[in-house]
Amino acid sequence: MLEIDDVRKRYGDTVALDGVSFAVRPGETFGFVGANGAGNTTTMRIVMGVLRADSGEVRNAGRALTYEDRRTFGYMPEERGLYQKMKVADQVEYFGRLRGLAPAAARRAAADLLERLGLVERRDDAVDALSLGNQQRVQLAVALVHDPAVLVLDEPFSGLDPLAVDALAEVLKDRAAAGVPVIFSSHQLDLVERLCDSVGIISSGRMVACGPVGEVKDREGRRVLRVVVRDAAPGWADGLPGEVTRDGECDVLLSEGGDDQAILQSAVRAGRVEHFGWQQPTLAEIFREAVA
Amino acid sequence: MNGLLLVAQREVRTRIRTKSFLISLAISAILVAGLAFAPKVFGGDDTFDVGVVGAAPAAVSQVHFTKYPDEAAVRKAVTGGDVDAALIGDRRVLADGELDQRLGLILDSAHREAQIKAAGLTITPLQVESIGADARYQGVRTGIATLLVFVLFFLLIYSAMYVAMGVVEEKGSRIVEILLTSVRPWQLLGGKILGLGSLGLINLVAIIAAGLSASFASGFAADLPPGMGGIVVSTVVWFLLGYAFFSALAAAFGSLVSRQEELNSVLTPMNTLMMLTYVVAYLAAGEPTGTLARVLSLIPPFSSMVMPVRTAASDVPLVEIGLAAALMVVAVVAVLLFGARVYERAVLRTGARVKLGDVVR
Repeated sequence: MLEIDDVRKRYGDTVALDGVSFAVRPGETFGFVGANGAGNTTTMRIVMGVLRADSGEVRNAGRALTYEDRRTFGYMPEERGLYQKMKVADQVEYFGRLRGLAPAAARRAAADLLERLGLVERRDDAVDALSLGNQQRVQLAVALVHDPAVLVLDEPFSGLDPLAVDALAEVLKDRAAAGVPVIFSSHQLDLVERLCDSVGIISSGRMVACGPVGEVKDREGRRVLRVVVRDAAPGWADGLPGEVTRDGECDVLLSEGGDDQAILQSAVRAGRVEHFGWQQPTLAEIFREAVA
Repeated sequence: MNGLLLVAQREVRTRIRTKSFLISLAISAILVAGLAFAPKVFGGDDTFDVGVVGAAPAAVSQVHFTKYPDEAAVRKAVTGGDVDAALIGDRRVLADGELDQRLGLILDSAHREAQIKAAGLTITPLQVESIGADARYQGVRTGIATLLVFVLFFLLIYSAMYVAMGVVEEKGSRIVEILLTSVRPWQLLGGKILGLGSLGLINLVAIIAAGLSASFASGFAADLPPGMGGIVVSTVVWFLLGYAFFSALAAAFGSLVSRQEELNSVLTPMNTLMMLTYVVAYLAAGEPTGTLARVLSLIPPFSSMVMPVRTAASDVPLVEIGLAAALMVVAVVAVLLFGARVYERAVLRTGARVKLGDVVR
């Protein structure tokens, strides 16, 4: 289990991280959500040892991380970095070698990844001849080439087309299924909701919500009862909690509390009930509320 | 160690295939090779061609004899400029207009010597003794030293510049974040310095090889001073020391900035130091035994250029060479430690230019 324990970091007078803690189990995909400058990049850089924390600790399997541990991690930094003039396959292979793979193994791993990421035809092109989306795939290949024990990806989905998003999502699921803890940050909250087991929301250097996606929603979000009634007589909802809006032929009642069974009975009396149910807020709504 | 070699290998592989490397290698080798032919082309040759009809005289230095069948043929050769003069029956000399004074003296004394020998007399030639330093090769040695100044300066500044550019490339593109989670800073920096240094060495060896083989081809090699092997070895060793010194500085300063555009301003102190070294080395080539040359050839980093230049231009006592080398090695180690420290602390601090004071504390 990868544990981030009370990590703090200041830049001069600015507090970048104010005691960030969370944990990611093997095989768990953790979505790290925060506004720009909230502290997720700083946290990930500290996890990777690119930045030193003022205090706090990052542990894996109960031990503080060492340089040798981090060499087995896969990392995609926020600002992409590749040798622009180097060929795609050579580049992926080179990083495999740097992370300790033998020459033949590095070559094989690079070929496999380029195949999976749809880059086979570009293997001999220089990186700067590739589209941004394809460069990002190469970046991902560089992070994955040594079959990492932990994946730390900063905004891996930004700038990708839907097909590339799917390809990347597949790869991440695959790694998680193999028992790898995966952390990635993203501003695409629908993606986080779709892919992640857990989510952490960070704001101004503090974790404001953290846990399994369903739990966070239950805990942080206000559930809303949504009732849609066709051909209801005007004034049917007087005395019920919540607000009614008119949508074509239908009345829509949104209520945050009250006796749902009593509301249902009133609705049935008033007209034809087309929809009745508690709605979970989306992650985006929770995020807006948490950060506000 | 493995990481260091991998980094070095990548530097060599990427750079050696670039047009700019190959072109500069070719141009510098051709230029130096051309210089070996220059005395022949511009200075005119210093041997004479003499056509001979009848019995050929004994061989004489600086004169090349060619046989002709009869006087008519040799006359044509003289007026046509194929030969400088003609010797007929070892008695008469034909010249086109006035006979070259030096050739006249050579032929005359050879002729006289042959007659004296025939008469059974032996004469003892004058003994010439030099009471100053061996000055026979002074001109050539100064020439070689001056050439060395240019070659060393060009290679040092070019190689150090590549180190700085490579550091900024990796820092600016943030690729260094991935690199430093794969290898240690000293491996990354050391590999870069080693790799680009190998390329500089290849360039230097190519220049020396081109110069020497061109010297043999042009016959200029006969004029080269004895101990050329020592000069070559000293050049290579001092290049490596100078390169280690300046490249460590280049890496340290380069790691302070994130954009290539900022590189020039941050490298100004180093470039100034290199220019200064160049100027004193140039002066030392002209006056290798002067006080300036003798003192600066001991002081790092000036010694990296002044000492090989001084060694080429004059004979330097071994004690002085040893002292200079020892001091330079100490300086190189100090600068490498300093460079590695600055690099390690500055290279991950992207964005605005990092102040040197912030990282050396």
